Amino acid sequence: MKPPIKKKRSFQRRKVCVFCADSAMKIDYKDIKTLSHFITERAKILPRRISGNCAKHQRDLTTAIKRARNIALLPFSIVSS
Amino acid sequence: MLRRYETIFITHPELSEEDHTELEKKLRSTITAMKGDAIKLEDWGSRKLGYEIGRNSRGRYFLLDYLAGSDLVREIERNLRLNEQVLKFQTVKVTDRVSPETAKTLKMEAPGEKVVKVIERPSTLDEKMKADDEKAESQEGEGK
Repeated sequence: MKPPIKKKRSFQRRKVCVFCADSAMKIDYKDIKTLSHFITERAKILPRRISGNCAKHQRDLTTAIKRARNIALLPFSIVSS
Repeated sequence: MLRRYETIFITHPELSEEDHTELEKKLRSTITAMKGDAIKLEDWGSRKLGYEIGRNSRGRYFLLDYLAGSDLVREIERNLRLNEQVLKFQTVKVTDRVSPETAKTLKMEAPGEKVVKVIERPSTLDEKMKADDEKAESQEGEGK
């Protein structure tokens, strides 16, 4: 008899938006160091389900990243060779 | 009513001293001529670009922070567009409607004609980490 399929139910800690947790952290398009935490290796914007940001801050973050990209502070994409 | 804007512009990495002063003079004179107020001009130096712009992989960044009306912004952008040394620029409105009082205090604190050299922009992340470190240290002290 087949062993019963174990249901994968890994418990996940509910992520809190880092910008809400610490009001001292500001989103600024010139602050690449902070922004680079929210992009993938391929320079895509990290989705909310991964970063755990709230809607408001994710929205602000997205604009900031797009502004930074426009002025070449951040790349649009990184193509792996 | 004036608004506060900041314009980042990227010039050729090997910008000659003459071109630099000429551009700066031009910008400053346009601002004063059109009744704006320059708050500060930052020089970030040569940085690596996120992507190539016209076969340049590096560029020299400048940040101009100023109070202006929309016509002045248009004029500044026109000047930057005409300058061949400028690779790219972007203007962002920082605050809408700057009251005369805040404008005054801003001007008081402004470094004026001086160009502020910025090696690395302060990151909120660094400050946060520093604050966390201090917190951890004080907690350690309490533990003893």
